[in-house]
Amino acid sequence: MDDLLSWGGIIARMLQQFWPVWAALIVTFALSITFKRKLGLYGKLFDSPVGMIGFGIVMFWIFTAVFADLIITFDPIAQLSSLKNKVPGTPLPDVEGQWYLLGSDHLGRDVFSRVVMGARRVLMIAPAATAFAFMVGVTLGLPAGYFGGQFDTVLSFLANLVLAFPVILLFYLLVTPEIKETGAAFTIPWTGTVWRSSIPNVMAAVLFVFPLIFFCTLFQSRYFTLPARRNLYIGITLAIGLWAYSGLAFNADPTGLWGMDPNLLNVFVSVVFVNSPTVFRIVRGLVMDLKSRDYVAASQTRGEGPWYIMLWEILPNARGPLIVDFCLRIGYTTILLGTLGFFGLGVSPESPDWGSTIDDGRKLLPAGILHPAVAPALALMTLVLGLNLLADGLREESLKD
Amino acid sequence: MTATTADWDPSKPILEISNLSISFFTRLREIPAVMDFSCTVMAGEAMGLVGESGCGKSTVALAVMRDLGKNGRIVGGSIRFKGRDLTTMDEEQLRHIRGSEIAMIYQEPMASLNPAMKIGAQLAEVPMIHQGMSQGEAWKLARQIVADVRLPDPDRIINAYPHQLSGGQQQRIVIAMALMSKPALLILDEPTTALDVTVEAGIVDLVKELGEKYGTSMLFISHNLGLVMDVCDRLCVMYSGEAVETGAVVEVFDKMRHPYTQALFRSIPLPGADKNARPLISIPGNFPLPHERPKGCNFGPRCDYFEDGRCNAGDVPMSRVPDGDRHESRCVKWSEVDWTAPPKKRQVKEKAPIGPVILKMEDLKKYYSISTGAFGGGENKVVKANETLSFEAREGETLAIVGESGCGKSTFAKVLMGLETATSGQIMLFDENVQSTPIQKRNTDTVSSVQMVFQNPFDTLNPSMTVGRQIIRALEIFKFGATDEERNNRMLELLDLVKLPRAFAERMPRQLSGGQKQRVGIARAFAGGAKVVVADEPVSALDVSVQAAVTDLLMEIQRKNRTTLLFISHDLSIVRYLSDRVMVMYLGHVVEMGTTDQVFQPPYHPYTEALLSAVPIADIHVQRKRIVLEGDIPSAMNPPPGCPFQTRCRWKSQVPDGLCDREVPPVQELEGGHQLKCHLSREVLRTMEPVIKIAAE
Repeated sequence: MDDLLSWGGIIARMLQQFWPVWAALIVTFALSITFKRKLGLYGKLFDSPVGMIGFGIVMFWIFTAVFADLIITFDPIAQLSSLKNKVPGTPLPDVEGQWYLLGSDHLGRDVFSRVVMGARRVLMIAPAATAFAFMVGVTLGLPAGYFGGQFDTVLSFLANLVLAFPVILLFYLLVTPEIKETGAAFTIPWTGTVWRSSIPNVMAAVLFVFPLIFFCTLFQSRYFTLPARRNLYIGITLAIGLWAYSGLAFNADPTGLWGMDPNLLNVFVSVVFVNSPTVFRIVRGLVMDLKSRDYVAASQTRGEGPWYIMLWEILPNARGPLIVDFCLRIGYTTILLGTLGFFGLGVSPESPDWGSTIDDGRKLLPAGILHPAVAPALALMTLVLGLNLLADGLREESLKD
Repeated sequence: MTATTADWDPSKPILEISNLSISFFTRLREIPAVMDFSCTVMAGEAMGLVGESGCGKSTVALAVMRDLGKNGRIVGGSIRFKGRDLTTMDEEQLRHIRGSEIAMIYQEPMASLNPAMKIGAQLAEVPMIHQGMSQGEAWKLARQIVADVRLPDPDRIINAYPHQLSGGQQQRIVIAMALMSKPALLILDEPTTALDVTVEAGIVDLVKELGEKYGTSMLFISHNLGLVMDVCDRLCVMYSGEAVETGAVVEVFDKMRHPYTQALFRSIPLPGADKNARPLISIPGNFPLPHERPKGCNFGPRCDYFEDGRCNAGDVPMSRVPDGDRHESRCVKWSEVDWTAPPKKRQVKEKAPIGPVILKMEDLKKYYSISTGAFGGGENKVVKANETLSFEAREGETLAIVGESGCGKSTFAKVLMGLETATSGQIMLFDENVQSTPIQKRNTDTVSSVQMVFQNPFDTLNPSMTVGRQIIRALEIFKFGATDEERNNRMLELLDLVKLPRAFAERMPRQLSGGQKQRVGIARAFAGGAKVVVADEPVSALDVSVQAAVTDLLMEIQRKNRTTLLFISHDLSIVRYLSDRVMVMYLGHVVEMGTTDQVFQPPYHPYTEALLSAVPIADIHVQRKRIVLEGDIPSAMNPPPGCPFQTRCRWKSQVPDGLCDREVPPVQELEGGHQLKCHLSREVLRTMEPVIKIAAE
């Protein structure tokens, strides 16, 4: 049996365990810095030290999520009952050369492997949920800002309603089993699965349709003068979009490729629902500013439709602030997911996601065992910090020139 | 006052800049903004700094204030103010000088005023800080200075907030603030560029008068040669970071000894220029970027007198022109060039024939109703943006629409384009009634045949789409061509038409200069073979040397396509140069309409007369009668009763019975179809004298 590892040894082994991440980071930075003058805003990020640090941290976690299978030292849900609540660097009793690098939790699971696997969970949900929130916010914010008037008044009022409701309470409501059982049950004929018209499911059906509307309008407004191309693009959009939509919103994908765990779906829908009003307001404000530009007037005088002007003339010029907000918002969503996990909402008890891991570790704090809670907390903190620094760097660089 | 300043001898220069070099440091490189700049301002003298944007004139001003920001640094030379070197002073000493001995006035008045402080408090602050004056005395002084800058009702003004004043009044307050501590040197950085011409004339007069009254020396920065001639005694012409010519205004204007100065004068429309017989000559090429300056003379690559091996051999020093008054030129060949020779390249063009009527407006009215309540309630007010507009425009003709801000010219353009519909009246476009057809309901032919060129070159192109893509989009929407290839070819032809290299199709707008962007805007407007083009101040935001080229281009395309051009402008010099007929608007009314000759010769409408007098002309042979209008343009929300111009009219006393206060004047038809909307009788009109006289050469 090996000795207890010193902190130096633990850090050295962890650094070694992360080798695929280091390799990927080196390649990314080398390529990006070499070609930074040709890469637009992304390239300019490498002129800002803050932005580079932020990007480095974010990419570290992304690569960790990608290569998690190579990095972990143990199965994140395997329990070793003989090794409960061990300190970092504890060796395995019967195997040579294996340690619980960051110790073990109350069930004898390896904290290090759980943190690494947790990154995968967080980075799969947070960006996707933020992207959906942006789709909803942009699709509604553009016409609200552009047309103004009654339409704007009604939508802004609804957005304020959602924003005025306490977020955590809303989550509890949406995620409770009672709510999930409401509504009528429908059997999907071609898969035989049952779909209930419960509140979260109906919300998913409504919110997930926005990307479809967005992309169809995008292509229709620009290519209506060239019907052949328009039909092609919209055809592709509808084919892929409806396929994914049936799977994600109704769990009715005949091939079974698209689908979402019902618990996950609830969390996802709630996150999209509370984030989209803020995006809506940002987009609305940007459009109100940009619509007075001469190039908008120029497109009006050549008889462009309102949606072309919104989607192709205004939206691309609002991208700077939107990209920055996107980064920040992934950070908020990550925190939100952590909070939900901490409350045990919407995730399976075994799940290695950071929020539930912190919750598990919390119970050991009175006994003076810190590491099961501190490790995922640090992971969560660094990821959000990285996203905020990245957003700062992007903001700084997009304001120049 | 410090001891050293008191020792200063008034016969010595108040400001002496010698061999000043300023650079800005970016992460990539050092960018030299000003090189080897020298100038001297004597006590009571007004020095003009003239040049195109980016030539470094504002940088010099900021260097005098030692306010170059984080990246800017003085890398050589000295700035001596009253004998003391400003470049070596520390922050503490500078604070005593800034605002007290040297004051600065910026372009945008609202940016210089604190919106949360009353005018009086802002003004009183200056002597309280610099001279330790008591608050009561400082307010008294503020009131007196406000009266000095000729603002009506000073007691009300000092208790007002900045937003309660008009742009012209705000700029007067900024001037008052600069004068509060009786500075020895006043720096004015384009002080009137943001204002209307008639308001500008008032400010210019004020600045001149105050300069004489207080004996203040001035450094006056402007791109407008006419304005500099009005205000300054001496001037310094700058080009690409260097002073190229300096001397007394009369000498530089009349006996210029630098090719750039000469080219500049040939590119601005002076009285006597004509688009057919004596067209303007634009300066070929582009202004060099600071890090791409050529070797030797910076103006070399664009100069007619360029000689390889001499002009690009090495740095060109300033050399003194012998028989002048401190007249210097930075040209190696100045003593060899024949400065009186007429320009070589001037091409005389044929006058394009005028065709049948294409566009006809009859009694067009456009009213907006504005609700004043916060929640849609409240009182409804009607803004009369256009009041009974009637005119015709013919094929191949240029009709200029002249007026200052708020006169309704933009509203008129919107109605014509179909972005708004008319309240009443008729618009006939190729025998089709379009007054109540919004643009969505117009057919593609109508839309593509009426297009617009916009004012602001930095706003007219979508910043995130390539130039080629934007033109192709216009072709797509106008249903031109069956294939992508056809449209692409047509797009390249359009780039040829506006004389841009075909490689520009792949460029993003930010890679283009202002003039190039404006050309793309023109190409886009002509994409669908437009027959009527509304040009809304297409060149007013461009530098003078570029203005000539863009104007020329518009004229050439017009000649080729027989386009009807509606040229909206406030600049009467350019209007006189290129238009066939002129329509003068004031507060939504057409006050005068006729051929260019009729409008620019007496009898005038009183407003036209004031407008003509207000436009500065950069020609020392032109004598101008000074007519400065009192007050500001009334708000269109609250127009005066009777004649719209009666509040500022100097001829009002010539009309009996106070008719002007009560009734909107009828349109009088004079000889040759010349129309005037004025109560003045024919006899009085006949006594009017021309505003502009060209003295015999």
